[in-house]
Amino acid sequence: MGLRWYHFALWAAFAAGMFLLPEIVPRGTLRTIIFANFLAIFAISWDTLSGRTGYVSFGHPFLIGIGAYTTAILTKRFDVPVEISIPLAVLMTMVGGLIVLLPALRIKGSYFALVTLAMMELMYQLVQVIRPDLTGGTRGMSGLPTLTRGAVNGFYMSTALMLSIAFTTWLLMKTRLGTALSAIGMNEEAVAGSGLSVTRLKLVAFTASAFTAGLGGAVYVHYLGSIAPRALFDINFVFTIIVAALIGGAGTTIGPILGAFFLTFLLEYLRPWLPGAERYLIYGGVALVLYMYQPKGLIYLMGQAVRRVRKGAA
Amino acid sequence: MLQVLIQGLLLSGLYALIAVGFTLVFSVGRVLNLAYGAYLLIGGYAYFYFAQSLGLPKFAGVLLAGILGCVIGLVKYRLIVKPLKGDQVAIEIATLILAVVLQSAVILVFGDSSKILLPIIPGVERVAGAAIPYSNLFAAVASWVILLALWWFVKTTHTGRAMQAVSMDAKGAAISGVDADRINMITWAISGTLGAVAGVFFASYTQLYPGMWVAPLIIAVAVVIVGGIGSIIGTLIVAHIVGFLEVMTSAFIAPELRGVFTMILIIGILVLRPKGLFGREEI
Amino acid sequence: MTLRKLLLSTALVGVASAASAEIKVGFIGSLSSDTGLSTLRGAEMAIEELNAAGGVMGEQIVLVTADTQEDVTEGVKAYEYLAETEEVDFVISGSIDDVSLGWLPRMQEYQIPTLDTWTSYIGIIDMVVEDPEGMAPYFMNIASDEALATLYINFGADVLKAKMGFESVVVLAEDTAFGEAITGLVTEGLAPVAGIEVKEVITYDIGTVDFAPIFSKAESTGADFIYQVSSVNSQVISSQYVKLQVPMAMTGVNVSALGLEYWEDTGGAGGGISTLSPVPSVGFALDPVSQKFVDDYQAKYDSRPKMPHFNGFNAYYGLKQAMAAAEEAGGFKDVAAWSSAMLKQDLKLEKDGKLWLRYGFWDYDTVEPVTNRTYPHNALFDLEAPYDFAQPSMVVIQWQEDGTVGVVYPFEYANSEFVLPSWVK
Repeated sequence: MGLRWYHFALWAAFAAGMFLLPEIVPRGTLRTIIFANFLAIFAISWDTLSGRTGYVSFGHPFLIGIGAYTTAILTKRFDVPVEISIPLAVLMTMVGGLIVLLPALRIKGSYFALVTLAMMELMYQLVQVIRPDLTGGTRGMSGLPTLTRGAVNGFYMSTALMLSIAFTTWLLMKTRLGTALSAIGMNEEAVAGSGLSVTRLKLVAFTASAFTAGLGGAVYVHYLGSIAPRALFDINFVFTIIVAALIGGAGTTIGPILGAFFLTFLLEYLRPWLPGAERYLIYGGVALVLYMYQPKGLIYLMGQAVRRVRKGAA
Repeated sequence: MLQVLIQGLLLSGLYALIAVGFTLVFSVGRVLNLAYGAYLLIGGYAYFYFAQSLGLPKFAGVLLAGILGCVIGLVKYRLIVKPLKGDQVAIEIATLILAVVLQSAVILVFGDSSKILLPIIPGVERVAGAAIPYSNLFAAVASWVILLALWWFVKTTHTGRAMQAVSMDAKGAAISGVDADRINMITWAISGTLGAVAGVFFASYTQLYPGMWVAPLIIAVAVVIVGGIGSIIGTLIVAHIVGFLEVMTSAFIAPELRGVFTMILIIGILVLRPKGLFGREEI
Repeated sequence: MTLRKLLLSTALVGVASAASAEIKVGFIGSLSSDTGLSTLRGAEMAIEELNAAGGVMGEQIVLVTADTQEDVTEGVKAYEYLAETEEVDFVISGSIDDVSLGWLPRMQEYQIPTLDTWTSYIGIIDMVVEDPEGMAPYFMNIASDEALATLYINFGADVLKAKMGFESVVVLAEDTAFGEAITGLVTEGLAPVAGIEVKEVITYDIGTVDFAPIFSKAESTGADFIYQVSSVNSQVISSQYVKLQVPMAMTGVNVSALGLEYWEDTGGAGGGISTLSPVPSVGFALDPVSQKFVDDYQAKYDSRPKMPHFNGFNAYYGLKQAMAAAEEAGGFKDVAAWSSAMLKQDLKLEKDGKLWLRYGFWDYDTVEPVTNRTYPHNALFDLEAPYDFAQPSMVVIQWQEDGTVGVVYPFEYANSEFVLPSWVK
């Protein structure tokens, strides 16, 4: 499996470092980290499916949306407690996602990307039209129960969630399953030729991705306290998720986290100097240049730098 | 009934023009240009700037919009598509990022409030309870003319046939002496020009706003998926299916469900017939 | 670990920007829309005047901004930024409905005095009714949409029915919560109050490219006029109405027509459109104080919006009132004290000896006589002529085909007459 003691030591150090942060950084920064954590969760979820297997999903908010809307509707309209509604939302994401996207997994390459994009658009339109008394229609819902109050609690909650999702995903990818998934990304025919069921592998990747998306979406909505279709089923949201995963480094676990933090902080740091739309121009520009320069992402660039330093030292 | 027919024809003509530039790049270069909608965005705003703000003649406005689209198409090919060497996923992602960058650029220059284009040809004719603005009629006719000219270009000229060859089999075409790079460049230039011109017509139908690149992209995607990649004629037919579906939904069912059926059609076709209604054909 | 280094450097920047002794006002809204800019500039001008006069409680006021991009999630982030990174004392908002709804839970958590100048969603006032303590820091100084719709019904009775002789209407409403709310209120009122029959309600999707089939459908109902409800992309429906020369009158709510740039943005393709508008609107005659504000505004800014939208006035007067309330309450920290001082603010502006505009708030107990309900923390408004308690909750304005704009209703405030577009017989 390739697990070494120092892997766990690094994870422990990472977790310890994260949990020490409230002692050193101001509350505003903690708020930024919270959003970075959620983005990291979504990026990990996207990466589990798309980064590894090469089935690029342009409709990931579709999955996040099922989770978010399920728990929002349950808590707001039926007064279901959050402890029950979040697991139900995760289940719903997995089941709903499977029913809808399973047939799509037959489709390869760009067509898969397109069908997921269409799925998100459909969801966007349906949420507003079908039973707006439940979904809140175009305006969405607000005043949802929130899980935590205050920056520090929100920070601990989101960090714990992000770290456990990241760690679990990392462990999962260290198994033979993970290797097989990456192999699909490189050469699907070869995997099929070696006697593995590609369909079953894709199914597992999809389910894991849906689980993470549903969980992330459900907790996210109870962090925000509101939900709006325009912000959720939005191509800009897709953009943010995918770019986070790719800028950090797709096909790795730490990459999407790195990308999510890099981009979220880039956007927040620009705020005092460029409060308006210019921020997004720079944000997009940086993302484009980085991506064109090294599609393997920051994690690869950092690895390269480390290798170079080592070589220089030797 | 006649009214639905007229309205359907007008809208479908526009949709065909929107989709064809996207199809072209997809079938020749095998890449999804997710920044395709940005041509429409740039084209629409360029026309607004030249023809409405500076007061140049309308024809000059369309021409300049087209030239700008052409240049952007070329630049995009040189700086993004070519360096990524046919990595489809990478190109999709890079073009998506580019679209968002261009959107922010438009907000910076023009602000984010919507703008309305003046009718290209003012006036309106009423036939059987349906109002036909001359502008929309002109847009529909122009898109037919452009599409037929394109079809003629692809079928009869040397370059057009080379495009066909590349779209069918890039390697084979290279062996028989076709310069695939040059053909791709021409295709991107044509696609950019068509997109920008379509943007002028699209904006004159609706409005100019920085987020306007998403809707035409979805239309183009719908047409490509339902039609299958390839054939200009297929694009034309499917644009009419999508256009009529929309007009009929508005007229007979409920206007708020306008886009729902299109999406269901896309998903249904993709799942049942992944290669589209018309399968794979040469352009 | 590099990630940690990144985070640590964040910490340093955070510490460096710690506040000194001054009053910090945070603006939340879109920095690239006319709406957002109106509020921002109204606030800037009020702050400039207050600072020139020595500040508030001896301290100068500084303004920091946070862009929402009119996006709900960005709005939440923006509010958090103002509250926790900038640690502002007071927030002035030019947010649209759903953005305000998005950050409201944050406001309840931080308890920062906040004034909304644009959103008119009655649901937020209902939140004040239900949770007066949690919502104590919140004020909305534009009449809520319910009050707007209620007065609009009178326009139906007094003008559409009495003057134009319209008997029936077809409603064209966008598929948004705003559309739903206004449509509901109007359709419930039009028949019983104005005696106008609602033939059909047609809902359309806000992404609609082509309105021709929808107008055909509206025409086929045989109604006398179209009542439109449009807050998103309203230029599309109105410009297509003009381009298609739809042979029926159309009036209603068209949010895009509320700014002076409407004419320029539509290239003139918006004549004949009438809409209800919050006060003070374009085409609305101004009292001397407000006129001076507009003159100063135009001397200071030369980019759009050329004239502040209603929320620019709201921000200008509202920010001054918030500061006056802070003087009274000894600052913004004691939210309950500030809130009750704010509630007592009352500014009356007169024109030619008549009460013209009034900036004040409904308290918790006063019942509005027409709608028979309370509107705590909402701007004062009047729903009955002769409007001697406050200004009407709305006026109806109309853009003429020559590009002029004027108020057509209520008659006390009217400076032009409601007319049909030239192509309607």
